[in-house]
Amino acid sequence: MAGSPSRDNAAHSARAPWLTLKTREMLEAWLFVSPTFIGFLIFFLGPLVAIFYYSTTEWNLLSQQATFVGLRNFENALLENPDFWHVVRNSVIFALGLVPLNMALALSLALALSRPFFGVVFFRTVFFAPVVTSAIAWAIVWKFMLQGQGGAVNQMLAWIGIDGPNWLREPNWAMAAVIVTRVIKMVGLNMILYIAALQSIPRDYEEAATLEGASRWQVFRMITWPLLAPTTLVIMVLTTIGSFKVFDHIYQMTGGGPENGTLVLAFYIYQQGFKFFNVGYAAALALIMFAIVMVLTLAQVMLRRRDME
Amino acid sequence: MTKVLLKGIRKKFGAVEIIRGVDLDIEDGEFVVFVGPSGCGKSTLLRLISGLEHISGGELHIGGQLVNEVPASRRGVAMVFQSYALYPHLTVRDNMGFGLKVRKVPASERARRVSEAAATLKLEPLLDRFPRQLSGGQRQRVAIGRAIVGNPDVFLFDEPLSNLDAELRVHMRSEIAALHQRLSTTMIYVTHDQIEAMTLADKIVVLRDGRVEQVGTPRDLYDSPRTIFVAQFIGSPKMNILPLADGGPIAPGASVPATAISVGIRPEHLSLGKSSNSTLRGKVRLAEYTGAVTLLHVELDGGQTCLVIQNQGPAPETGAEVSLQADPGRLHFFDREGQAV
Repeated sequence: MAGSPSRDNAAHSARAPWLTLKTREMLEAWLFVSPTFIGFLIFFLGPLVAIFYYSTTEWNLLSQQATFVGLRNFENALLENPDFWHVVRNSVIFALGLVPLNMALALSLALALSRPFFGVVFFRTVFFAPVVTSAIAWAIVWKFMLQGQGGAVNQMLAWIGIDGPNWLREPNWAMAAVIVTRVIKMVGLNMILYIAALQSIPRDYEEAATLEGASRWQVFRMITWPLLAPTTLVIMVLTTIGSFKVFDHIYQMTGGGPENGTLVLAFYIYQQGFKFFNVGYAAALALIMFAIVMVLTLAQVMLRRRDME
Repeated sequence: MTKVLLKGIRKKFGAVEIIRGVDLDIEDGEFVVFVGPSGCGKSTLLRLISGLEHISGGELHIGGQLVNEVPASRRGVAMVFQSYALYPHLTVRDNMGFGLKVRKVPASERARRVSEAAATLKLEPLLDRFPRQLSGGQRQRVAIGRAIVGNPDVFLFDEPLSNLDAELRVHMRSEIAALHQRLSTTMIYVTHDQIEAMTLADKIVVLRDGRVEQVGTPRDLYDSPRTIFVAQFIGSPKMNILPLADGGPIAPGASVPATAISVGIRPEHLSLGKSSNSTLRGKVRLAEYTGAVTLLHVELDGGQTCLVIQNQGPAPETGAEVSLQADPGRLHFFDREGQAV
């Protein structure tokens, strides 16, 4: 008669009594994560490993023949092909234009829309809706609106006496146009992140600072902005990565033109891999892009850490 | 002279009136405590005085000046928040000096005043720490220090001890009392804890549903409550209120006013007695031994439960029949409206 009845029942009900409880729990845990884990292996880790291999080959997709060339593709990109540095320059300009504009606009909108007022949900929805809109549809609509003749933007400018340029056909304006339209599309996401962060800052801080004589600007500069720093870092890293990865927007709006003026890295990789079928070279470019994004991200994180200290 | 004068103060949030006409006269250097149950408007009243909420009606004077339209930062008040509201990204030193910095006080003067306040509150070793590195009691002291540095005319405390454990609460209570003695500044303190109110206050303001129920010294409120609400709110354990409908003397020698319909007896003014002398008889339902005293829950023959504090002697068994004797000089009579008679 050793042991309580309930314990006996538990022992009998175990389906695999030869396994220890810890092993059974471990197996259950693996069972639950396996769908995601298998997907990760097949669709993420597999291609990631493969791309390292492809980057060391000269492989024309049509010939189905891959020749090992070592680091030749990297040499070609970094030292020989002038297109590469032109494309990197375009990507950097795109990021430098998009990231500050996006973040400043997102923060301004969040500050305006973080407190409840009549219609706040409507405005939040309006600014967030483009984020969930199809990128291609968004780009097509803007392409029409930015047409030189008959485009909605130029028509509106004409009302106030401004003769608008052919936005997407003039090298000086095309980059600005794709940056601004991309910002309008994606700013809602960062706005929501900033709203969540603002709402998590206790109201007491602002009230205490106000009682101590701080103006609204001082409250923002000395209390709110420093407390938003972790969110700002996340937003800056994600937006920078996103700006280097931009593809669909460029593909639909300018196709990299005019005169390669908006040819950015991700679109260049696509062109090399799937238009000119230089898969090995495209793989090397993708790894270089990965390295650039990694360095930028680490730099941002380290800067933030230095600020914290 | 920093008197605080409230004349017919009202506050509405939309259609709901939270403060319904409060008149109050707070003398210079006085320690006034607002008490009342949750939702009675005590914190709102404090926020109206601070300027963090706009006054819907009435007049607020601080230091003889009408301040209804004066911004919070120019009212000469400092507030200690329930959450302490210490800025998490600033050190203790910077937290304490924040108000001086935004008011453009020179750095040397700022350092001197922060050091003085830190010395007063024994915060010197903590000046370079961040709030997350402090205990609850230390945070509380920093919050008080931040208030002191600004050298305000009036201190406002919004339930400052409610986040502390019982032992620390008692300790901090004594520190606040000592601080008041040292600074002699007008202090207004909000709490729902009537022990805090009794121990700290020169004057207690009991609030109920946005109105002042009674104002007085702790002893006034304890000995002469004007309503059943105050009688039951002040004092722990709370006063027993028994109906007088059955007639008959509640205690030998006590004279019962004609309009009285109920009588209040504090648990400490009841004792176990001989059956022949008393009309209060019942059975002990529970005896709670607290060390210093035993709190008896006695179910009277009429059905009400009556609390009795027994100071000495063995407590009766649960279920034992007991007779209770009330101190005839300590009875409180109330009329149909709950007013003392």
